[in-house]
Amino acid sequence: MTNTKPAEVQRFNGIFRIQHVILLVTFLLLAFTGWALKYPEPALQHTGWWIRLWGGAKTAGIIHRVAGVIMISDFLWHIVYVVSQLLTGKMKFNPVTTVVPMPSDIKNATQNILYFIGLSDTKPKFGRFNYIQKFDYWAVFWGMAIIGFSGLVLAFPTKAAIFLPQWSANWIWEVFFILHSDEALLAITYILIMHFYSEHLKWENFPMSMTWITGRLPMRHFKEEHPLEYELEMKENPGAFKNPGNS
Amino acid sequence: MKKLLLCSALLLGLLSLLPPPALAETFTCLACHSAMKGKVRTDKGSFIEVNIDEQRFSKSVHGGMGCTACHKTFKDNPHERPQADVSRKISELANLVSPKAKVDSVAYAACDDCHGEIYKKVSESIHGKNVIEKRQHDGALCLDCHGSPHYIMPQKSKESMVNRSSVVKTCGECHENEEIAKKYNLGTQIVEKYEESFHGKKYRLGHPGVPTCVSCHGAHDIRKWDDPASPVSWEKRTITCGKCHPGANRRFVASITHKPVGKDNPIPYYAEKGLIVLTMGTIAFVIFHVFLEALADIRDRVFRKKKEEHHD
Repeated sequence: MTNTKPAEVQRFNGIFRIQHVILLVTFLLLAFTGWALKYPEPALQHTGWWIRLWGGAKTAGIIHRVAGVIMISDFLWHIVYVVSQLLTGKMKFNPVTTVVPMPSDIKNATQNILYFIGLSDTKPKFGRFNYIQKFDYWAVFWGMAIIGFSGLVLAFPTKAAIFLPQWSANWIWEVFFILHSDEALLAITYILIMHFYSEHLKWENFPMSMTWITGRLPMRHFKEEHPLEYELEMKENPGAFKNPGNS
Repeated sequence: MKKLLLCSALLLGLLSLLPPPALAETFTCLACHSAMKGKVRTDKGSFIEVNIDEQRFSKSVHGGMGCTACHKTFKDNPHERPQADVSRKISELANLVSPKAKVDSVAYAACDDCHGEIYKKVSESIHGKNVIEKRQHDGALCLDCHGSPHYIMPQKSKESMVNRSSVVKTCGECHENEEIAKKYNLGTQIVEKYEESFHGKKYRLGHPGVPTCVSCHGAHDIRKWDDPASPVSWEKRTITCGKCHPGANRRFVASITHKPVGKDNPIPYYAEKGLIVLTMGTIAFVIFHVFLEALADIRDRVFRKKKEEHHD
């Protein structure tokens, strides 16, 4: 019993974990350096020392641009990697393990909320990714399309202007300003509330889920939170998980 | 003997620390004009301040000049009426700028003596024409931007009204003033919109390179934007923006206006409204979800604990 490995299941490989770390670091850098520019009000006393903390407005601007380019590259790397995994057959589509939103997610979300308020006695059974995790994942795509793209336009405005149609010139810049800053605020609040609750504050994860470092998930969590994937694995590969606690 | 020498050397050293001595004539005027309280009534009936802060004056760029260099009509004898002869050029200019000068229009024109080229530029600018041709008293001329000539500091000094750190505020004195905006048909939210732009936001954060008002609009030779000679005219705007943004084209320069986002430009207006609904809606849902989830988690841990233990 003592010489068996702790019951954990491999969830993310090294490449996914590196991609997540890059995303995490650049996200924080972008949020921190962009914050002062969104709220430069002299009445808000924090902006003065906050911007000095990032080396002044000029340095903060450089950090913001560099972090933005790294984040976009990270995102593109992720897409190329996932597509190549799918094409070479190393990753296969399965409704239980996919991150693609499925009709069952709507059902699961409804049942989950009913369970929260006590109108349902059973928790919905999730696959590899529950609907919140899927939302987390696709939020990055939304963010990249909206914030990433508008950020590139704002970082290289004279280059972007070459491709802009003349009829859009009178309003499109304003739209880019608004898109970039409003959606960034949405991303920051989303991460602060939803992601922090799921991965840090939630009872079983407090103070922090270690999955992002180790890539592994404790067996007990796996069975409880992703029962469909557990069942699938047991069916396809019986005996893959020897759970010492359950033998 | 040695002691005496040392003492006098010390005394001389101390003397050199004092501000440069004002001219004798200045000193005489300031004997009274640095100690006057309240205001004085002029012949025309307006009340004016005639006291000079001697310390600030001596530190200013004009601190070494004598009073009558500008106040040319005054004679050395303070009891005589100020009727000294003035050159024709200055007296003509004094007539032109008289709407601005409450008291000594000759002194107002005297800037021309040293700053002739700039005075000419200003006279041809929209600010200058407003005073000289339209005879308006509330438009800008030298002192409205630079402050009292007695206390003008070098432009690089933070105390200067036209220093980088204060020039936006200085322009705003008129361009944020609703009465003036109404009278001259100016936009009222110009400074506000500048401060909301990327230029203005960075300016407020202390970025050393971003443009202020004068970087794009010019200073002494400022013109209305529809004047082809203005640096922000359609003809010249790509050149002006191109100073910092090489390759600026027509579509690029459209990105900076000082117009408020309103219904007259509906796409950004409704895009912003839509995004606010989307952002607030998502945040509301997320808070709702996390709140319920947290309550349910606590409930499961505290009240349904037995079930779990049994399960394990």
